Amino acid sequence: MTPNGAVAFALLIIVSALLARNLTGLLIILGATTCFALASRRPVWSALGWSSGIVLPLALFMMVVWVGIVGRAPHEIAANAEGSRGAALLHVAIVCLRLFIIAFIVQATFLHFAGWTPLRFIGALALPRVAKKLLVLTLSLMDTILQAVDRARTALIGAGLITRERSWRNLRHGWILVQTVWLTVITIVLGRTRDKWPIENTLTRLEDSLAARATARLAAADFGWIALALAAGMMGLRWWN
Amino acid sequence: MLTTPRLTAIALCAALNFAIGNVVYLIKLPIYLDSIGTILCALLIFPDRLAAIACAFIAGLIAAILTGLMLNPFLPWFTLTILSIAIVSALLTGLAIETFRARPLPVPRFLGAVIVCGLVTGVVSAVVSAPVVVYLFGGVTGSGSAFVVAFFLKTGQQLLESALFAGLATDPIDKTLQVLLAALLYRATPHEFIAMLAPARTSAA
Repeated sequence: MTPNGAVAFALLIIVSALLARNLTGLLIILGATTCFALASRRPVWSALGWSSGIVLPLALFMMVVWVGIVGRAPHEIAANAEGSRGAALLHVAIVCLRLFIIAFIVQATFLHFAGWTPLRFIGALALPRVAKKLLVLTLSLMDTILQAVDRARTALIGAGLITRERSWRNLRHGWILVQTVWLTVITIVLGRTRDKWPIENTLTRLEDSLAARATARLAAADFGWIALALAAGMMGLRWWN
Repeated sequence: MLTTPRLTAIALCAALNFAIGNVVYLIKLPIYLDSIGTILCALLIFPDRLAAIACAFIAGLIAAILTGLMLNPFLPWFTLTILSIAIVSALLTGLAIETFRARPLPVPRFLGAVIVCGLVTGVVSAVVSAPVVVYLFGGVTGSGSAFVVAFFLKTGQQLLESALFAGLATDPIDKTLQVLLAALLYRATPHEFIAMLAPARTSAA
């Protein structure tokens, strides 16, 4: 499977999950997503755990609001009907299952390319060159920012301006940390764009490297997965009401 | 429009959005602060309005996609909100760049500009976000504003109206804070970096 095929499959699943309006339809789409995750031949527990970790707190919160406080489903509110907590619970289940599918398909896609570096994955995507370059630069600068945060934090703790634990001093001097990080990063970026990159010819080499990693847009297996996503989506839509 | 320095600025602002947004998301603050980089990108490129809109939107979009892949898979759904923030920042907030960089700091003028721009950004983003909140989240996200939605639903309002009112009650505060932080970061940015982002013909001149 190619990254392009995986992204196409994921997008089709997400669109299907958004269009499906009842539990049966969503369960069919979840089934297709689970098959996709299992086909990666890697342990799917981490993907399931991550997705559950994102959706469960939201589900509890929604239950408090919809079942506990409001006590009616949106269509009952729209119809000005008295409504029931059961209908509100069903509404929460549908919304949460949809959100779970979206979170799970992202993780399932990662499972297929678990051994790949971000550079390899981005290079293999069928995207315009400038978009690939931007993604790689952003990932690189994210690392730079995180390193700058570490360095600035250590320096400011050493200077006694902020502390490791929560404190009023952190609140009072937090802005100094933000400003220090920003100035550090700007200085690094200025140095890179003005001197380092032109001397090392970094951007041209990056483009060459991304072009060299470009693979076939879609492989035969991708079409099978895309057909499965379409079938699951159509079946999910059949149970529209 | 997309010169190498501007590409770098976009990547930098996207990384900033990602870093600050994630910290806020992880420590569960009742605010978002995930658009500071978007607003800052528009300010950095400002006199060229079209480029400012495009670059700020791209910075916000990349940050949303990366955050969506790594941390919060629901953020990319707010792409239209990102676009609206980029437009307001390039067309309105950018007008205050001289006030933001003035030395010494003209406190009343600075705060006035931040509040006006923050409120407008907040109102626009609340209006654009409401349909996404209703459709994707069923009207209730994990933030404290959900209780505001519940309150309006209890008073008999429809779901879309409730989500809109809740957004209007919380977004302007969040966006005012974001405009303030973006303005302060813009103020702290070296002139050399901003000059580098000017269109090529201006630099050559």
